[in-house]
Amino acid sequence: MRVKKLINGAALVLALATGQALAETPKNTLVVADAIDDIITLDPGEVSEVGGVLAANQIYQPLLTAATDDSSKIIGVLAESWTASPDGKTHTFKMRPGLKFASGNPVTARDAEYSLRRVVQMKSRSAFILTQFGFTPENVKDRIKATDDMTLVIEIGDTYAPSFLYYCLSSYVGGIVDSKLVQEHEVNGDFGNAWLKVENSAGSGPYVLSRWEPKQSIMLTRNPNYTGETGGLERIFLQHIPESAAQRLLLEKGDIDIANKLGPDDFGAIEENPDVGFVDGRSGTIYYMGLNVRNEHLAKPKVVQALKYLVDYQGIADTISRGTVEVHQTLVPKGFLGEIDYNPYKLDIEKAKALLGEAGISGELTLDTVVWNTPPYTDFAQAIQATMAQAGVKLNLEVVDGQQWLERYRSSNLDIWLGLWGPDYPDPHSNAKAFAVNKQDAPDGSAGLADRFGWAAGSLSQDAMAAVREQDTDKRRAMYETLQKAHTDTSPFLYMFQQVRKVGVRSSIKGVVLGQTFADDRYWNVIK
Amino acid sequence: MPAVLINRVLGITGRILTLLLTVGITLIGLVALTFCIGRVVPIDPVLSVVGQKASEEVYQRVFLEMGLDKPLWQQFVVYAGKLVRGDFGISFVTNRPVLSDLAGFFPATLELATLGLLAGTLIGVPAGVAAAYWHDKWPDYVIRFVGLIGYSVPIFWLGLVGLFVFYSRLDWVAGPGQIDVFYQGIVKPVTGSLLIDSLLSGEWEVFGNALSHIVLPAALLGYYSLAYISRMTRSMMLDQLSREYVLTARLKGATEYRAVMLHALRNAAIPLVTVIALSYGGLLEGSVLVETVFAWPGIGNYIASSLFRADINAVLGGTVLVGAVFILLNMVSDVVYQMLDPRSNLRRR
Repeated sequence: MRVKKLINGAALVLALATGQALAETPKNTLVVADAIDDIITLDPGEVSEVGGVLAANQIYQPLLTAATDDSSKIIGVLAESWTASPDGKTHTFKMRPGLKFASGNPVTARDAEYSLRRVVQMKSRSAFILTQFGFTPENVKDRIKATDDMTLVIEIGDTYAPSFLYYCLSSYVGGIVDSKLVQEHEVNGDFGNAWLKVENSAGSGPYVLSRWEPKQSIMLTRNPNYTGETGGLERIFLQHIPESAAQRLLLEKGDIDIANKLGPDDFGAIEENPDVGFVDGRSGTIYYMGLNVRNEHLAKPKVVQALKYLVDYQGIADTISRGTVEVHQTLVPKGFLGEIDYNPYKLDIEKAKALLGEAGISGELTLDTVVWNTPPYTDFAQAIQATMAQAGVKLNLEVVDGQQWLERYRSSNLDIWLGLWGPDYPDPHSNAKAFAVNKQDAPDGSAGLADRFGWAAGSLSQDAMAAVREQDTDKRRAMYETLQKAHTDTSPFLYMFQQVRKVGVRSSIKGVVLGQTFADDRYWNVIK
Repeated sequence: MPAVLINRVLGITGRILTLLLTVGITLIGLVALTFCIGRVVPIDPVLSVVGQKASEEVYQRVFLEMGLDKPLWQQFVVYAGKLVRGDFGISFVTNRPVLSDLAGFFPATLELATLGLLAGTLIGVPAGVAAAYWHDKWPDYVIRFVGLIGYSVPIFWLGLVGLFVFYSRLDWVAGPGQIDVFYQGIVKPVTGSLLIDSLLSGEWEVFGNALSHIVLPAALLGYYSLAYISRMTRSMMLDQLSREYVLTARLKGATEYRAVMLHALRNAAIPLVTVIALSYGGLLEGSVLVETVFAWPGIGNYIASSLFRADINAVLGGTVLVGAVFILLNMVSDVVYQMLDPRSNLRRR
């Protein structure tokens, strides 16, 4: 009896202490749970981690953007109109009049000039998106120029499909900063990087940075000078909640509005809950295996072919990933220009054995496979190891930490790399460049994945460069279609899946828009 | 008289010097070892800054910026030199001095660990005594069983189950995180501990909310340390209760309470101090699993995520802090030991 009284008393004290009236998130704040402990900068000129791009996306605006429902449609954001010269080398952008930065400064072509130049001049880690147009710290002053306050002229080194430039400008490095404000905070020629990195923002977007607690949370507040479309929410709060099950419980209770990191295990549980729904999207991220053709066995096309028949694509998608990936075996992701429905490979042990025999492989073939020690890679790797073993191919799995995983791929010290590729802008060249273009054909001479895995793409490399130079969109599309088939058939890249996104959202939340590339999600139209 | 005084002063100074020397050598060894491991492991800190796609030129720029072109010993000398001046360097992930990062993350772990240890000790010690007293009777079985579960069930699983029951279903406590979004940023950090700061500024609602957030993870850590502390108490008490002095006390007509609590427990308490101090040290390292499940901004998560990003300054800073905590706790437990154990006083005289 006394014990019972005691327990009741304790429960009462606990309930009083917890202040339970507050079971939902503040009405004017969007609370987003994500894993954001990896972000190292919010400067739009160098931002790169998923969470950082996500936050910067709400703060900074590019000249142009791609429509999220149809990425072939280019929409002006800070630019009102744009034209290209007939040879495709000179691009002129007219700025939209009357726009202001959060500071109150007007948005001009000078700001665009400063912002795009600084990415190149800082030698930022994300500069590759712009430098592929031939910009260098030396020539960028001549090539990116504001001729007056409202006109920006960009001269690129080569003829490219105009949409290719537009997509690159729409990516995260294309975010325009308030040049007056940033220049005031330049220290030792750092282009204001130290100032913009953590504590301050200088954008024209719907939100401004209030506070970033690294590894904990990011608070964004509405930009009073923003005149574009908006749902009117006062704040966005991005909270670091690494565990997917914890995200699920918080979402179901209403303590968060959006859960970005739910796993397949959480989907089923949530589906029955009427207070919670999903926003489905597709990210351009592709999971693949890169086969290092420096290995004498992998240098044989028949062996490569055989390995492609030794993965249970559908099985993995259905049983392991359950709604987070779909089978995809070409280099252009679905949703991008030139996408095709071409999945020629499925698990076929006999065929693989025959191919291995034809290649002259007798006995066991052992391949060092480097895998990142995190799901879904580990799960994929085990499933693939099992099916490969049935044809006598032994995958020696080396499950390593993320940095080591990158290091092994960079130094090409492996036979197989189980990895992913996320396009930085929704243009097929983002992937074609990576998977098909060799160093000698790249205008900036940079090594892509093809070089990393020791593969000479031959005519495919030139075809990919020809496609990105094609001015006619229909012709360009057809070129990617042909290129992809040949690439899937002959390259040492074993494409497996494209990531599908399922973001958990409270039913009261409307207007969440998911982007096509990683972290291009747009929260400013959200109402609750 | 003066000679005795000088001797005493010399003795104390000598002891302090020896202590400082030991602490210093331990810390230097710790830093050197962590530094070597950090540099020898096949993790490329440059890659973790520039990522997969950056060009060779960018890679080289960052490589030089991080000072990685210098020989290893030179890097260590530079680092150690700064450390002596209290400069732990800058974390390249948070872009802040590691010292202020530690000052930000450690209090969250400190309050969690302290509450956990308090619960673990206040329940664990009596439970251990009871188990020993009713040795091989039902209270012993129950306490041992409860302890065994706490010791053997993975703590993150218990955490998730706890969240599911007490947060999701019963609504008794708040969910993962240190505080609700509502109360974010209301209290100005003074000590860094949200509980203490909210009390200091008289923000009762914030305090209530923070308390509600900390109850479950602290209870979990408490349970975990309880499991260990109760088992150790039990075995030490069993040892003491079988000694002849307890029998003597009982023969002389001492009450059971006196014999057990005053005679036996007092003697068992001496080694128990070390057990509790070490448990505290373990909790203060930060439980990565608990901090992950409860999205707790503590030192465990800080060090672990720094490790994964090869953020060597942050890892080293965290390691030095944890090392210092252990050294400090060891010193404290030595002092308490001497206070509890009359023999060590005798020896000194």
